[in-house]
Amino acid sequence: MALIRLIAYSIAELGNALCFLGDIVRNVLRGRIRKGEVLRQMYEQGVQSVTIIVLTSFATGAVLAIQGAVTLTRFGAKEYIAQLVAWSLVREMSPVFTAIIFSAKAGARITAELGTMNVNDQMLATRSLGVDPIEYLIVPRMIACFLVLPILTVISEVVGIAGGYLVGVFEAHIPSAFYINQTLRAIRYVDFFSGFSKVFFFAVLISWICCYQGFVTRGGSLGVGKFTTKAVAYSIIIVILSNTILTKIIITFWG
Amino acid sequence: MIRVEHLTKSFNGQVVLDDIDFEVQEGEILVILGGSGTGKSVLLKSMIGLVKPDSGKIWIDGDEITQLAEKELLKIRKEIGYLFQEGALYDFMNVFENIAFPLAEHTDLDKQAIESKVKNILEVVDLEGVERKYPSELSGGMKKRVGLARSIILGSKILFCDEPTSGLDPIRSRDISDLIKNISKKLRCTTVITSHDIRNALRVADRAALIRGGKIVAMGTQAQMEASSDTFVRAFIQ
Repeated sequence: MALIRLIAYSIAELGNALCFLGDIVRNVLRGRIRKGEVLRQMYEQGVQSVTIIVLTSFATGAVLAIQGAVTLTRFGAKEYIAQLVAWSLVREMSPVFTAIIFSAKAGARITAELGTMNVNDQMLATRSLGVDPIEYLIVPRMIACFLVLPILTVISEVVGIAGGYLVGVFEAHIPSAFYINQTLRAIRYVDFFSGFSKVFFFAVLISWICCYQGFVTRGGSLGVGKFTTKAVAYSIIIVILSNTILTKIIITFWG
Repeated sequence: MIRVEHLTKSFNGQVVLDDIDFEVQEGEILVILGGSGTGKSVLLKSMIGLVKPDSGKIWIDGDEITQLAEKELLKIRKEIGYLFQEGALYDFMNVFENIAFPLAEHTDLDKQAIESKVKNILEVVDLEGVERKYPSELSGGMKKRVGLARSIILGSKILFCDEPTSGLDPIRSRDISDLIKNISKKLRCTTVITSHDIRNALRVADRAALIRGGKIVAMGTQAQMEASSDTFVRAFIQ
């Protein structure tokens, strides 16, 4: 009985979330986009996430190079560290890691902000003032996320490769010019775009989940905490799961 | 004029509003009284379309709002001022931006005209010099005044106030009640106020309605309420 209730609840929730997404798409298609709000959100979601993305990406690139140096040296293939770092970062790690870190930082912020507005009647106040909260509060956040996440991913890739370069050159003693040359030769357009194209899906999924959870938050400050945690958990799970499917599709059709 | 007919609303099987019927004449101030949790706020939110009733009809100046879609309701709400219990000010905007928000959204006024209007309305609610403050820097009474200023800045002819005196000390409660009355009379607003603050409610009301168990158990002027033979009504009034 409890299972049936859970399934029924989940279907109803998914239906509501899809209607919510439909409202957003309708607003976007009608050109109801507030450019000033989008820019403000881009600053809050993007610029304020740069530090954490740079730090984690640098460390990821460095760790990849350290592990690569240990493993590849055993096979006498140390000169392939640059390729290993570049491929791993560009095809998989930067898009997925950036999306996960973005969910935890900007996604949590979106849900907490909207949720607080909800429990403090600010969302109702928006409607009472004759303004559509989807247009005013949700659409700018979603568009900002869609624009900012790809930029953060590129930053992550560049910084990650730089982290790998430092380890490769100063720790594994690979000549600098050789490392750079190997990196540039390693990354083909198909490698870059196979990772980069996934980011747009992640951006839509993260912003949809986080905005929706904020939009339906109830239950005071406890509710804000609960729905924010839920939003971040759902976002991370959906990024990882959708990445599996997207990777399979991309490799099948793109190589 | 506002007319509510056979309005019913329940949440999770619990009836909150049960066959509510009343009218508010143009320019009249009606206070809806009742204890906490008696559905006063739900009634007020239903009257602006923020809550969908289970059954019944609500007319606002000839428009039957319970049948309207959200898009049409948004248009109607521009004509109605709504003061929320805690003010519901945007905490990411300062006082000026909060009050200017409806003007920026619904009028073509230039920056100077908006500044002048905001300055004037702040004088009306007796809050000069707080334009740059954020809601977190304001007291409860100041938030309500700013909320009131925001709700009337478009010159609405209908004003709804949800528990305007809750959480305020007796002096601030009296001040805000008098302010609402003065503004309503000056702008000739049709005003509906929900309150459990009987003393201040009766100071400002042309008529009052008392809700109990989801029903209106008494309605009339202060004298009529005081003359009621119903023991609950008399006990509540006294």
